[in-house]
Amino acid sequence: MATTESIQKAYIDYVLTEGQQPKSVYLFAKKNKMAEEEFYRFFGSFDAVEQSVWADLSRKTLSEIRAQEVWAQYSSREKALSFFYSFFELLKSNRSFAVYSIKKHRSLGTPKVLEPTKEIFGNFADTVLNEGIESQELSDRKFFSKRYKDALWVQFGFVLNFWINDDSAGFEKTDEAIEKGVNVTFDLFQRSPIDNLFEYGKFLAKNGGLKEKMGF
Amino acid sequence: MNDNTPNSNEQNSIPTSKVERSAKFVKTGFKIGGNYIKHYSKKLFNPDMDKSQLNEDNATDIYQSLSELKGSALKVAQMLSMDKNLLPQPYVDKFTQSQYNAPPLSGPLIVQTFKKYFGKNPDQIYDKFNIRSTNAASIGQVHQAELNGKKLAVKIQYPGVGDSISSDLKLVKPFAFRMLGMSEKELDVYMREVEERLLEETDYELEVRRSIEFSIACKNLNNVVFPDYYPDLSSKRIITMGWLEGKHLKEFLATNPSQQLRDQIGQALWDFYNYQQHELRAVHADPHPGNFLITPEGKLGCIDFGCIKVMPDDFYYPFFSLTSTNLFDDKEETIRAFRKLEMILPKDTPAQIEFYYTMYKQMISLFAKPYITSEFDFGKKAFFDDLFGFGEKVAKMPEFKQARGVKHFIYVNRTNFGLYNILHELQARVKTNTFKPHVEAEAL
Repeated sequence: MATTESIQKAYIDYVLTEGQQPKSVYLFAKKNKMAEEEFYRFFGSFDAVEQSVWADLSRKTLSEIRAQEVWAQYSSREKALSFFYSFFELLKSNRSFAVYSIKKHRSLGTPKVLEPTKEIFGNFADTVLNEGIESQELSDRKFFSKRYKDALWVQFGFVLNFWINDDSAGFEKTDEAIEKGVNVTFDLFQRSPIDNLFEYGKFLAKNGGLKEKMGF
Repeated sequence: MNDNTPNSNEQNSIPTSKVERSAKFVKTGFKIGGNYIKHYSKKLFNPDMDKSQLNEDNATDIYQSLSELKGSALKVAQMLSMDKNLLPQPYVDKFTQSQYNAPPLSGPLIVQTFKKYFGKNPDQIYDKFNIRSTNAASIGQVHQAELNGKKLAVKIQYPGVGDSISSDLKLVKPFAFRMLGMSEKELDVYMREVEERLLEETDYELEVRRSIEFSIACKNLNNVVFPDYYPDLSSKRIITMGWLEGKHLKEFLATNPSQQLRDQIGQALWDFYNYQQHELRAVHADPHPGNFLITPEGKLGCIDFGCIKVMPDDFYYPFFSLTSTNLFDDKEETIRAFRKLEMILPKDTPAQIEFYYTMYKQMISLFAKPYITSEFDFGKKAFFDDLFGFGEKVAKMPEFKQARGVKHFIYVNRTNFGLYNILHELQARVKTNTFKPHVEAEAL
């Protein structure tokens, strides 16, 4: 009896051995001794299998980090960091597949295989960022604060590509990239001189007629 | 290599806080930008001008800013020009301190480091683990933990430190060539020595092995204590050791300790170093006040064995024969020893030989003063004034612009001057004949 996991496993094995997707679902099903319709009971296409592998990894990451004792003590920044570290730690055991999948589907913007992952990530980011805004760890900016999670997703894409090309022992460089990258992103989310500059600008605009007053 | 406590008031001009340090770099950035403007505006009028003036300007500014940032790992260039010449300790002490200007590790990165090396979260390893660090170490940070009722100190290294050492050194090399006027070959010997030591410091597995070795070898010394080490709970980036209660030198001195107590600590320190130098021939080469604690029982706790300098025989014998025998009575023999230590070089003219002979003899006699009598009062300011005065005089001499002496001097000098400096701060009176150099039998 096929399961989601067994199909995922067989599929990963196939693409890593052959270097490409099976020619058809029929061939893949036959090779794995199941009926074609059984495959369709779980997945609509091969790309859907790949999507599910990625999505499962991110769900597993979430349940792992949330189970950690320190989770409750973490700030938003730390929660995001924790997701990044744990995700890439889990990804290590699927590195060959991850590299294959990303390289094959490389595109501008989010690759198709990561679309469900993006949604999971987005929900997680939303929660964490809102917590941060509520606790005033992060700055609530009109329009921009809604885009924070997009910035995090871009960061995620960046680290993923970095990791794929990382040849340092134990992927230590990726750890550095996460630590520095996510921190920078969160530094931008925090209240910063730009906010003050912006407010100053607003103040000047509201108290218009400055030009005349200053005699220019 | 703990904490950032400035250890003497000579360092007033050293930018200590992070803000100041980065401001320093920003300033350099402006200056370099200015150099480019200067270059291109000159070039408007003189299109043939090449970039050498620009590079020169940049090198000078970068070097200047490095000189003001005494704590940086990039201080190698200065180390080379100064350490050779018995220079004011505050400088020597500051620069190999290799402080990485790293921000503290985030909680999740700590968890990640543990998972990577032990496959477990810190709270699965220890009964208690404080995710917020209590101290910064030079290349990592220290966390408090507890296991089976024992209080522990867990040191965690910043990722990528090893890489940054090698790349920092590469960065400083071209400037060092230029500023010191040394050939690449000459400089390389010293650079490699420094790089080797610094890289060793990043190897926590090695540090644990050495800490255990040294604490066993030194366990019979009076009033010196070491934390327990837990090799099973240590890895390439993590060291677990027992938590030593105690005060750092500064705090200790602030309690206004009695002369007797200061002597006791000073003696422990002296014995610790001289036992290692003369009995083990390998020495804890980082006598930075942050590496020691003074326990409530009045003992000296040594908490960091990251930097160990092994002294080979071909350095040990000629060097300590100079300090501890009557070799100086014999000029020919003295010059022979200087040659062995490359303080006098084969190509030197007779006039140069005479000059370096006189200067080095003076220098070493000064350095060896504490060894000559059986007791020495390190509180005496006169000795240190002589030492620094001599160092400053030498620094101004063009003959000492180039580095001389075998590479071992870098760390041996640093060790001994560091030791003298702490003893001076302690104002300790020390019996200096406890562990004497073994050179009598080995006459040259």
